[in-house]
Amino acid sequence: MTMSEADDMLPGLDLRLTEEDPDDLYEHAPCGYCSCLPDGTLVRINQTLLSWLGYARQELLARQSLSQLLTVGGRLHYETHCAPLLLLQGEVREMSYSLRRRDGGILPVLLNATLRRDAAGEPLVVRITLFDITERRKYEQDLLRAKEQAEAQREQLRLQNEQLTRTNQDLDNFVYTASHDLKQPVNNLAGLFGELRRTATFNDPAAAAMMGMVDEALQQMLSTIDGLTEVVQRQRQPEPAPTETTALQALTEEIIRGLPPQPRGQEAHFTLDFAAAPALRMARTALHSVLANLLSNALKYAQPGRRPRIAVRTARAPGATVLRVQDNGRGLDLARHGAELFQLFRRFHPDVPGSGVGLYLVHRLVHQAGGQVEVSSVPGEGTTFQLILPE
Amino acid sequence: MEILKRLNVTVSGSGPRALVFVHGFGCNQRMWRLVAPAFADRYRVVLLDLVGAGQSDLTAYDPARYSTLEAHADDVLAVLQALDLRDAVLVGHSVSATIGLLAAIREPARVARLVLVAPSPRFLNDVGYTGGFEPADIEDLLDTMDNNYLGWSAVMAPVIMAQPDRPELMAELHNSFCSTDPAIARHFARVTFLADNRADLPRLRAPALILQCAHDALAPRAVGDYLHAHLPDSQLVVLDTSGHCPHLSAPQATIAAINHFLKPVRTA
Repeated sequence: MTMSEADDMLPGLDLRLTEEDPDDLYEHAPCGYCSCLPDGTLVRINQTLLSWLGYARQELLARQSLSQLLTVGGRLHYETHCAPLLLLQGEVREMSYSLRRRDGGILPVLLNATLRRDAAGEPLVVRITLFDITERRKYEQDLLRAKEQAEAQREQLRLQNEQLTRTNQDLDNFVYTASHDLKQPVNNLAGLFGELRRTATFNDPAAAAMMGMVDEALQQMLSTIDGLTEVVQRQRQPEPAPTETTALQALTEEIIRGLPPQPRGQEAHFTLDFAAAPALRMARTALHSVLANLLSNALKYAQPGRRPRIAVRTARAPGATVLRVQDNGRGLDLARHGAELFQLFRRFHPDVPGSGVGLYLVHRLVHQAGGQVEVSSVPGEGTTFQLILPE
Repeated sequence: MEILKRLNVTVSGSGPRALVFVHGFGCNQRMWRLVAPAFADRYRVVLLDLVGAGQSDLTAYDPARYSTLEAHADDVLAVLQALDLRDAVLVGHSVSATIGLLAAIREPARVARLVLVAPSPRFLNDVGYTGGFEPADIEDLLDTMDNNYLGWSAVMAPVIMAQPDRPELMAELHNSFCSTDPAIARHFARVTFLADNRADLPRLRAPALILQCAHDALAPRAVGDYLHAHLPDSQLVVLDTSGHCPHLSAPQATIAAINHFLKPVRTA
C-alpha cells in the first residue's frame, strides 16, 4: 500500500466511536509513563504507574525523583550507568530495574527513557516508559539460577574428571609395573620347573598328573600377565590414525597360520570371504589383535566332539563396513552374561584356559577406531561377532 | 608503547603541563567529552580507559591482579611514565578519584595536583562514618547488573576471558557508549564499592580539589565534608547539580571550578 492510498482510507475511520483520546491514552496506557526534570524530580506520571505503585499523584509529583523509586542497588546502577548514558546519547533502552511500591513490595520493570533538550541544547526533561515484567523476571531468575547451577556442575564434573584421569593413570601404571615385575619371576619359575621335570624322579604315582597341573597353572599365569601387558600398552598408545585401512585377506591368513594346531580329525575349517569389502578402516596392529583374539576364541570355545567351522566375512552397511566372525562353538547365554561380555578379566568358561583380556581388548580397539561390536549367540550352536566400522 | 595501547590512551592538546582524566565505574573515557576539550588549548589532555573498561585490552583484566584499586593506580602511573609526564594534574571521577589519590601518594613527582570529581573514599557505612550504603545494597547492585546483562551475556564460564572467536559479542559491547564485559563489570563493581581508602587520605601531599554535587546519591554531602577534613590540603566546591556525574550534568561549572583551582596563584 502506498502512502497516499493509506491517507485515502482515513476518512473511513471514526476514532470517536472507540472513545480513544490522547489524554486517556496517556493516563491509562498499558504501560507506565513519567517525566522528570534533569535532576530527576518527577513532574508527570500516569495513572497506570500510580496504581502499579500504590501512590497518590501528589505524593510523588515535585517531591520524589525517579531514582528514589528504585531499589538502592538499582539507584546505584541508574546513577552510574543510565544517567550518564542519557546525557551522552540522549536515550537508554531496555534497562531492567525494580521499583519500590508504596507498600514496600517490588515491581520489576523494563525502562526506556529519552532526554529532551531545549533550544539552547540544555537538558529539559526526561521521558520514561516502564513495562511491568513481573513474570518475565521470574523466568530470568530461573535462567540465571540454572546458569549458575550449570556452571557449578560443570566445575564439579571437571574436578571429578581430573581425578578420574589421575586415578586411571595410576591404575595403568600399577598394572604395567605389576605385570612387568611378575613376569620375570614367573618365567624363572617355568624354567626351573621344566628343568626339575626333566631331571627329578618321583615315587608317588600321582606325581605325573600333579606336574601337569602345575605346568598348566604356570602357563595360565604367563598368559594372564601377557594379556595385562598388552592391555596397558594398547591404552598407552595414541589413538590410531583414522585414515589407515588394512587389507583383510592376507592378514587373516597370516593369523590363521599362527593359531595353535588342533587335534587330529578336529582341524578347524575356515571360510574367508572379503568380496564385499576387502579392507577395513582400522590400523593394522589393532585389527591383527582383534582378529587374532576372535579366531583363537572360536577355536578355544569349540563344541567338544564337533569339528570347528569358522567363517570370516565382510558386508556393506550404510556408511559402514561389517566384519563378521561366525563359529559353530559352544555359544554363550547372552541373556545372562551379555552385559559383562566385554569386561576385563570376566570369564564364562572356567574349564577352558584364558585370561579374560581378549574380548575386552577387541571391544576397546574397535571403539577406538570409531566402530562398535555386536554379538549374537545360541548356546550349543555357535557365536557370531559383528564389527561395524565406519567407512 | 604497550601500556598506552592496553589502556586505550588518547593524547590531544598542547601545553607545558598535562591533564589526565580517569573515568569512574560504569563508563569509560567518553564521559569526559563535554569537559576535556575545554583544556586542550592550554594543556596536554590525556584520556584513558581503565583496564576492563571501554576499548582497553579486556584480556589484560586478571581478576586477581585487579582485586584492589592499587593495581589501577599502578596502571595510571605506568601511563604517566610512558608519556614521560611530571607534575601532571590528575582528574579522577568517583572511584578513580581514589585511584588518583593512590597514584599521587605513590609518586608525588608525577602528580602535582588532584581534582576529585564526586569522590568517596568508602561507599559503605561504618561506625562513625556515613558512606551511604549497606553491603546488601551492593548485592542489589550486582543483581541489577545481572538482570541487565542477562539478555546478551554469553559468558558461561565464571572466569573472565576474552572471546575472540565470538565477534558478535564484541559488536554488542560497542553498541552503547558505556557497555563492557559483564563479568568484568561485576568484579570491578565489587572492588569499587567494597574499597575503603579512608586511611590513605592524610598521606596525600598534593593540593586537591573536591568537586561535589549538591544532590548525589552515591557521594552524600557528609562524604565531601569527611574528605575535606581528612585531606591535608584540599578545597571543597559544591556544584549546584544533581546526580553523580557533574562533568556530564554541569560541564561548564565543572570546567570553571577546575580552571579556578589550576590558576597559578591561589588561596589555600
